[in-house]
Amino acid sequence: MSKRGTTPNRFLPPKESSLFKELLSLYETKQLKKGLKTADQILKKYPEHGETLCMKGLVLVHMGRREEGIELVRKGIRMDLASHIVWHVFGLIQKGEKKYEEALKSYTQALRFDKENMNLLRDVAQLQTQLRLYDGLVETRYMLLRLRPTARQNWVALAVAYHLSGNLAEAKKVLVEYEKTLKNVPHYDVEHSEMLLYHVRVLEELEQHSEALALLDVSAKDRAIVDKTAIMEVRARLLSKLRSDEAEHAWKVLIEHNPECYDYYKGYLSNQGLNIDENPAEALAILREFSTQFPKANVPRRLSLSLASGEEFQALAEPYVLSALKKGIPSLFVDVKSLYTDPAKLKSFEDIAESIHKDTSPDTSVASSSVSTEPTTYLWSLYFLAQHYSYLSQYAKALEILDLALAHTPTLPELYTCRARTLKRAGDFHGASRAMEDARLLDGQDRFLNTKSAKYRMRAGLIDEASALLGLFTKKDAPSPGADLEEMQSLFYLLEEGDAHRRAGRLNLALKKYAAVQRVFDDYEDDQYDFHGYSLRKFTVNIYLNVLDWEDHLRSHPSYIKAALAASRIYVDIFDDPKLASGNVDGDVTDAEKKAKKKAKKAQKEKEDAAKKSAAAAPATSTNEDKGLDVPYKDDDPDGMKLLSTPEPLELAWKMLQPLTTLAQDNIEVLIAIYDVAIRRRKYLQAAQALARARALDSEYPDLHVRIVHARHFVSVLPEPMPAPVGPIFIETLGKILSEGVSLETYNSQFLQNHSTSAQAILAAAQTSRVLGAPLQEVEDLIFTTLRDEVRLDVKTALEISSFLKKIKSPRVNELHQALDAKFTLSTAFKTPDELAKLREWVLTTTSNSSSERTGNGAANVENEAELGKEAGKSV
Amino acid sequence: MNIRRARAEDLPGMQACNLRNLPENYTMKYFMSPFYLTYLYHCATWPSISYIAEDKGRIVGYILAKMEEETAEGEPPHGHVTSISVLRSYRRLGIAKKLMLRSQESMATIYRASHVSLHVRKSNRAALSLYRDTLGFEVRDIEQKYYADGEDAYAMRLTLEHD
Repeated sequence: MSKRGTTPNRFLPPKESSLFKELLSLYETKQLKKGLKTADQILKKYPEHGETLCMKGLVLVHMGRREEGIELVRKGIRMDLASHIVWHVFGLIQKGEKKYEEALKSYTQALRFDKENMNLLRDVAQLQTQLRLYDGLVETRYMLLRLRPTARQNWVALAVAYHLSGNLAEAKKVLVEYEKTLKNVPHYDVEHSEMLLYHVRVLEELEQHSEALALLDVSAKDRAIVDKTAIMEVRARLLSKLRSDEAEHAWKVLIEHNPECYDYYKGYLSNQGLNIDENPAEALAILREFSTQFPKANVPRRLSLSLASGEEFQALAEPYVLSALKKGIPSLFVDVKSLYTDPAKLKSFEDIAESIHKDTSPDTSVASSSVSTEPTTYLWSLYFLAQHYSYLSQYAKALEILDLALAHTPTLPELYTCRARTLKRAGDFHGASRAMEDARLLDGQDRFLNTKSAKYRMRAGLIDEASALLGLFTKKDAPSPGADLEEMQSLFYLLEEGDAHRRAGRLNLALKKYAAVQRVFDDYEDDQYDFHGYSLRKFTVNIYLNVLDWEDHLRSHPSYIKAALAASRIYVDIFDDPKLASGNVDGDVTDAEKKAKKKAKKAQKEKEDAAKKSAAAAPATSTNEDKGLDVPYKDDDPDGMKLLSTPEPLELAWKMLQPLTTLAQDNIEVLIAIYDVAIRRRKYLQAAQALARARALDSEYPDLHVRIVHARHFVSVLPEPMPAPVGPIFIETLGKILSEGVSLETYNSQFLQNHSTSAQAILAAAQTSRVLGAPLQEVEDLIFTTLRDEVRLDVKTALEISSFLKKIKSPRVNELHQALDAKFTLSTAFKTPDELAKLREWVLTTTSNSSSERTGNGAANVENEAELGKEAGKSV
Repeated sequence: MNIRRARAEDLPGMQACNLRNLPENYTMKYFMSPFYLTYLYHCATWPSISYIAEDKGRIVGYILAKMEEETAEGEPPHGHVTSISVLRSYRRLGIAKKLMLRSQESMATIYRASHVSLHVRKSNRAALSLYRDTLGFEVRDIEQKYYADGEDAYAMRLTLEHD
């Protein structure tokens, strides 16, 4: 921070002036205590010295005295509006508050008074990148290069800025100029290698493929590019684009290099002009050759299964399944399950596994068996078949097979996890939890099984008990297992616990967890900031561009979408029925449940108290400790009551959904959620657009049917027509979806007729009737038709139907539950509250007594290759 | 199954895989918490030596590796495995070995690494057997109380061959 001004109120006599310089350097080295003293020394004589006030404020913020510090900074700015230092300080504070736009404004102000300050310019560049203001970024990077052309990274940074702004041609020019300035680059300079790879990439994106290839080849030959894998990958891609004869060889070399990389086979096949769907025979012949060449590689064999059909498929699938069962590969079913969309392949797998099972069964005489009679092969074939039938919803059969398998080997955790999954699918969430706990107890040191068991407890509504399990692997000094998992950004945990709370009607706590998911993604977004500087200093430009692109699509992640959908549905419900936000929402709870709730509350409070205690017991922080400028996250709503009682539920819902309007346009559930929020926010065009898009994806989607009618009905009951121009457009868009002449009642009964055997559709039709104001009894009667034998009904849909009946305050909920309980014999989902309370006790009393603590610390968290080695010799 | 270099979009999947498998991340000395910061830092510093295994888009295993920065004068550079993990349900496919070999090859060709080192808990016998028996690592040293809970670590290394 040079170039001291001479404005009267900035003037300091020599002694104070040198103290100020000292203050700056003390700050740079974060000697906060001394810095504070020095600032006070100046302020004693010059209490209104703006720059000193700001620096003191900055030091205070670093020391954790944020409010006091910011107060001083504001005062300092007022005292010396034309100082670059005060604006720089303010910018730093705002950046710490993640207010990037405001920070950029302050920096711009600072630059007005010190145009060539490198520190300022570098920070501005980072802010501009964070805000994706690429045109401004080019200017800033250009300025930095002009000021310091000898710094190599300034060239690269300018090229990247041009690239990001979409000006590839300029990016190329900068790189060419930059390379001219280089002298005597040593061999094996990784940074230079990265740079050249980036140059090749720019050329490729400019579609100057020959030039790109020439640069790649000469750089590879000179050993200027040292990344062999990257050379081979780019080379193959470029040769294919150039339609060169060498391309085939280049792809082959890649496959030899890493025969387990799917992309290489895809590249090879597409280079040969083979489309997987159109020329399966030729593609298969090629894959067969590769399978022979790389007998240990899985990719060509598995890819062949996708392409082959008929007898050829059978011939390939048999050895594939047999070899995996012999080796005892637990992932076999998950591996092939995606082929089940083809019913013929499904049947093939069933036949193959059944036949292996028969051949290896201890009951079969050895002589008649063509395959090995290894007992493990028999066991794994049972495991496969159980998964197979479970997947096909033949739960009783799957459980029967598992009983056989468990009688054979009671110590294989996978058999219990499969049992648990089967019971869960059948609706027996309590039995499922027990089975998963049985699996965990077989290997208490395995975090994977621990996580699964916790998840299944949450599915059974045992949230505290799940937390106790998770706590076996979380930090002991964390306030709670959940707090640690939240800090570690465990999306799985946040979503499962949020859903568990939602199912139990604790909407506040559910919202709390969904908000935590949202915050994980906010953190992902914020934390790229440092890398705008770091990656360029390290010349790792290629991965950096990949990071930026990923950040731009961050919220298309399934976990974010799940949280956004779940939260927005709750907010919409709260908007429709504000009573939901008044706290005690679950109507009929049993004494046992009340007791459990009280207990949980007490446990929660104890946990919090303990956390407070441990926080208080922490050693008093020395005043010199740097707490940084980032605002620490403070939870002022631990039980989510503020979220629940928000006066603007729709705005909070929209905040979560908004990023999805561009990132998840193909997700019909997202579009329906957008409609629900938009129509209530009176954003009619948005609502109509969402409906039109959803309809293009799946016009018969049950939830969409409800919304189409809702929209039409909504317009018809408006006291005054929607004003132009929005109104007419809205109505026109709706008219294209459902012509105005059709009566909504008729439309609904037609929908019902067209899908009379789908429980989902019947539910949708009932919801639609409700929208149209049908009497409760009529809606109920319709709902009860889902119990008919010809209707396809699963537990998941049955649960939705039950929630709907509760929502419309039907007196027939118990009647429905009795019927459903009789229908789903395995399920515990529709038991009475008293029965459920007993079940919960049953899950715990039978397992928690024997619940073993983890012994030792080092779990075997890598696969046991030694075991594989033993078995591999016998296979194929 | 697909084995390839790690990319930015693999980050949440790697983090989930890490949290499901590895007990107590915080015991690892140079682990920033949460995991993804460590990963971003590795990625931005040594972008070519970490690999992942995926099954239909799901990350089922990964190796996160770095180059050791503090080497004595004149000593050749060497690599270090920060974290390696394969989901329990994807064992017996040789994934850990395949990931390790890919990473080692990149360390050797790009950074001219002379050897690769790693730490393993003394009590983690399965991992020890994988490193020693299958991958050819040797125990060089025992680091006392390497982990936060006081457990010792074996410091292991494997010499890399150059062509």
